Amino acid sequence: MFFFDFKMPLVLTPFFRTPFTDFTGGLINAQHYDKCGQFELDMIECMEAYGQDRGKIKCRDLIDDFNECLFATKRTMRGIAMIMERDRQWRNGERKVHHEPGPRIDAF
Amino acid sequence: MVTPKTQDLPPPGGYQKIPFMRVPAKTLFNGFQIIGAYIGITTFAVYIYHLTNKQIQREEVEMRSARLALMPMLIAERDREFLKQVRKNRDEEARLMKNIPGWVVGTYYGEPIYKTKPVDHFDDNSLSWDDLCVHSDYRTQMIRQNFHLWN
Repeated sequence: MFFFDFKMPLVLTPFFRTPFTDFTGGLINAQHYDKCGQFELDMIECMEAYGQDRGKIKCRDLIDDFNECLFATKRTMRGIAMIMERDRQWRNGERKVHHEPGPRIDAF
Repeated sequence: MVTPKTQDLPPPGGYQKIPFMRVPAKTLFNGFQIIGAYIGITTFAVYIYHLTNKQIQREEVEMRSARLALMPMLIAERDREFLKQVRKNRDEEARLMKNIPGWVVGTYYGEPIYKTKPVDHFDDNSLSWDDLCVHSDYRTQMIRQNFHLWN
């Protein structure tokens, strides 16, 4: 699972911090389309308290939860594991029905 | 002997008169009548438009009221169907993965999805068609995604 440990910059900050860049510093975040807004807020508050370097160690859980909300890593791997298991059972003859009927079209 | 010359003379009685005076067009209405007719017809038309506009506003109000009354019920039914499907997925997952060593229903091999939330935290804010149709085939999921793309 080494390729799932990317260290992407989740919050883009400008290179030089000036009062001018502080006006429009936080343009890219997860608050507008806020499916992961609460996760991001918790992570940012923790990082602000501890700073960048110590924050990466102490707030590891919050950072991982925010990553999980954004990129759906574990959820996707869960889905893939279930699909592969279903296909393996079907090919071995252990299942009578390959796939379940899906949800209703207007269910989501 | 002198023969009489042939000359190009006017016909006997002279030429007719050449009409060169202006012949203006026949005036059916004068300017004031035309402007008055314009104002009269416009007034009548504005009145008809006003009546039609009132009718349209009444129809829009009725349509809006019906929509406001029905929307909560329709959305609630959609949410109910969504939760029913999630429960079916969980039961199906329990049946499917019961012989896999280390698998706990709702986690990834025992590791919960969110580390800082309680175990029964249901994050319905970030679900997708991938999670709903995980036990169905690809075509089913694509039909539903296509339907939602066009609606």
